[in-house]
Amino acid sequence: MENKDYKTIKRVRWTITRVLELLLVLAWIFPLVWMVITSLKLESEVVTREFTFLPSNPTLANYIKAFTSTYILKWLLNSLYISTFTMVLTIAVDAPIAYALAKIHFKGREVLFWLVMAGMMVPFQVLIVPLYQQFNSYGMINSLAAAALPRVALPIGIFILKQFFEGIPDALEEAAFIDGANRFTIFARIILPLGKAAITTVVILSFINAWNDFLWPLIIINDSVKYTITVGIANFQGTHGTQYSLIMAGAVVASLPQLIFFLIFRRKIIDGIAMTGIKG
Amino acid sequence: MKKLLTVLALLLIALSLFAAGAKEEAKSSEKIELTFWSPFTGGDGEFFDAMIEAFNNSQDEIVMKNDMVKFDDYYTKLTTALAAKTAPDVIVVHQGNMPNYVNGSLLALDDLVSKDILDDFQSAPLDACRFNGKLYSLPLDVHPIVMYYNTDILKEAGITKLPQSAEEFLAAAKQVKEKTGKWGLGIDNTTGTYKAYTLTRLFFSMIAQQGGSFLNSDNTKANFNNEMGVKALDFLKEAVAMGVNPNELDYDAAMNMFKLGEVAFYFNGVWATGTLEQTAGLNFKASPLPAFFNDGSCWAGSHTLAIPVQKNQDPAKVEAAIKFIDWMTANGELWAKAGHIPTRKSVAEKDSFKALPYRSDYVAAAAVALPTPSTPAWDEVYGTSSDMLEAAVTKNQDSKSALAAMEKKVNEIIASY
Amino acid sequence: MGIPGNKDLRDGILFSLPFMIIFALFMIFPLVFGLIISFYKWDILSSPSFIGLKNYLDLFKDEKFYSSLWHTLEFVLITTPVLLFLGFVMALMVTGKSPLKGLMETVFFVPYIFSMTVVSTLWAWLMQKDFGFFNQVIKLCGGTGVSWLTSEKNAMWSVSLATFWWTAGFNMVLFTAGIKQISKEIYESAVVDGASYLQQVFHITIPLVSSTTVLCLILQVIASFNVFGQVYVMTGGGPAGSTRVLVQYIYEAGFKYFKMGYSAAMSYILFLIIMIISVLQYVLLGKKKD
Repeated sequence: MENKDYKTIKRVRWTITRVLELLLVLAWIFPLVWMVITSLKLESEVVTREFTFLPSNPTLANYIKAFTSTYILKWLLNSLYISTFTMVLTIAVDAPIAYALAKIHFKGREVLFWLVMAGMMVPFQVLIVPLYQQFNSYGMINSLAAAALPRVALPIGIFILKQFFEGIPDALEEAAFIDGANRFTIFARIILPLGKAAITTVVILSFINAWNDFLWPLIIINDSVKYTITVGIANFQGTHGTQYSLIMAGAVVASLPQLIFFLIFRRKIIDGIAMTGIKG
Repeated sequence: MKKLLTVLALLLIALSLFAAGAKEEAKSSEKIELTFWSPFTGGDGEFFDAMIEAFNNSQDEIVMKNDMVKFDDYYTKLTTALAAKTAPDVIVVHQGNMPNYVNGSLLALDDLVSKDILDDFQSAPLDACRFNGKLYSLPLDVHPIVMYYNTDILKEAGITKLPQSAEEFLAAAKQVKEKTGKWGLGIDNTTGTYKAYTLTRLFFSMIAQQGGSFLNSDNTKANFNNEMGVKALDFLKEAVAMGVNPNELDYDAAMNMFKLGEVAFYFNGVWATGTLEQTAGLNFKASPLPAFFNDGSCWAGSHTLAIPVQKNQDPAKVEAAIKFIDWMTANGELWAKAGHIPTRKSVAEKDSFKALPYRSDYVAAAAVALPTPSTPAWDEVYGTSSDMLEAAVTKNQDSKSALAAMEKKVNEIIASY
Repeated sequence: MGIPGNKDLRDGILFSLPFMIIFALFMIFPLVFGLIISFYKWDILSSPSFIGLKNYLDLFKDEKFYSSLWHTLEFVLITTPVLLFLGFVMALMVTGKSPLKGLMETVFFVPYIFSMTVVSTLWAWLMQKDFGFFNQVIKLCGGTGVSWLTSEKNAMWSVSLATFWWTAGFNMVLFTAGIKQISKEIYESAVVDGASYLQQVFHITIPLVSSTTVLCLILQVIASFNVFGQVYVMTGGGPAGSTRVLVQYIYEAGFKYFKMGYSAAMSYILFLIIMIISVLQYVLLGKKKD
């Protein structure tokens, strides 16, 4: 008898927990749903005391305006360009140093590590003027490459990779070393293949970071045709007065590609970070 | 090896992207191409874009390319570019921001603009563009703060004559509240997307209306900690304390409430006119800022057009830039659609301008408009005063001590430049 | 464990080089430039004049500096513990036995991929006083609207709330990593001993993810100290400057008020504070872990 009661209690508890979880999931996703709903309404239905949940006359007017009166497609392309560029270079520079920090016992390693960390602590605002002057002297103002380069060294990426590489048993490297391999072959043949998960994670993080960057691309890029999507949609905000439905439509368009990108690689990112911890 | 190849391939891609980004330019055409930065986004931007397009269609020597930057970050971008002498051929600068740019960043225009053109400008806004005896820009518009009022609400509340003084405004606002349940006044007093600049603009105007000034005559000290300042602040506080003006009201909310017909009297720059006219179902009128005290003096800003100094200044481009500026100001009636007041005498005479509602009245307002104090400290003074007035009004602080604290702060700021 | 051969130094340098080149160009160089500028009075446009330590001395007398620093600290103190807690709880949920765990993991992480601008405008809109979703619903239920962003009492909390939604998912993923590396046997033997779920969490999970906690803590504190974007977009630093954080003041001092030297000096103070706190956390908590 007691056993049966216990089972019922357990089942009820299970159900309640699942319901609570489901509610939490719905609440968490809701702001995004609201973003889409707002973008499908006319501004007159948005700024009103008569609250409606779903649009009474769903309209694509805001999207049509966004696509016809701006370079939004070009902006998306530019963002894709910059993000890809950043992503590729980030991995090329982050992975080797992460390996060095994780596995090579050289003098000054601690100092180097803190230097990298320090890169995360600097308020970017102080770098704007010197960076701009520097790119100016290279004749690179108004180029997409200049918009991407300062974001290439991604300290958090090093952090994740280092964490992961530390978890790869030393014994593997030692065995390879005895077989006559040097650091570079070890890095290329053992570390990189084993670190695929973490690398994927960093690739995606750097892509997202570059995609979302705002202030720097705004400063360095002059032609509105060359804006990134994040910079471009900021102009939907009026000089005086905010039009919420239009801004939300812009936000949806700007976020959709990275959302798709994320959903495709969802497992890879999350598992990637999750596998960061094989270290014992 | 395969990995190494992959890495190499990736680097190649990276480099090609790099190269693609770096190589640009190399377009050839007989037309002179000019670049232009403006902070007009959203509603204003549409009027402005139309104007640029009209300019490009009006002649075939010059092609103007307009790049808009969101206002919040416009000056950051502009300053950075000016410092590197890479700014575009023509820029928009607010008259109040000019003191920061006139030491070598902008081209002096005295010898470049013909006397005929200069004579066509209203003298007040033009003189405001002179610094140390030189002309650094030409005014595109003047945009004073004005009053908008909802005619339906006033009718419902039985107000047939516009109030004529600060007391009458509070009384009328109270009448609106009692008769209709709506808000009498809609003065924004809280920072949201924008700072509560409206408070400073009104405070600034009201001191002038009593014969005073916000800063002293050489702009070195605050000049508002006196009876006039107290009267002005009392009015702003009273409106909230009496419950006829919403508290914790930000700029966007104030605008939206007026659009929805929930506010009788609303104060904002002339730039709101175009947007309000497009609002369906809103019956309103606009008038110059009323005399709360002795006269109708009012705060005003001014967008001006300037030519940045370049590393290698191309005389042909400068000449084209002057032509552009001349055209833009001479066709100010197009910009007046957004609400801004043109600065050329000839524009005020055009029928197409006179046909626009309110704008002719605005011209009168522009005549009594107060120029922004000419000091590099102005932006910080303006922002800080707005913060402090915001606290005083929303928290109903004692006027005398609030103004004393504000005076101390403003003096400190000016001294730090 | 190093590999014998004594080429560690050479290899270390070679492997660090690509990063260091980029880092030196785009981080160290501008940083040094900033440091030099902090000893000058400079309006960006004209030539700088050397004023020694004046900028640093001035900022210790500047009330606005203190109030901005305090608002930043307030934000750090609010967000750090909550974000660690949320991240951990979410990680527990997605590593448990729930059939919804895959869905939860995706949904909790998704906000993190959105840009600051999108997240901030979206939440400013949800929290808009008159027409925003939250207040519309509160009013439908018969309540009176809350001044989410326009009252001094609430504004910092509202910005924090948006930040929780935006970034908790990242901490969740880090904690998930930590939890997944705990061997199942430890839990199994605990269950045999009759330990409840909560007991398992407190006696096994929390102690065993401590290295992840330290990692999260350090990253979170750094991120929170550098807060700017979401505050700037959502409240503009208001009401009456009550949410103006230090980075906003740094930005305004430099680019709106043309005090680049002063702005750089403040950046360095902030940088120093973050550095000291991070090193302290690393040394103190890192030691304890061993």
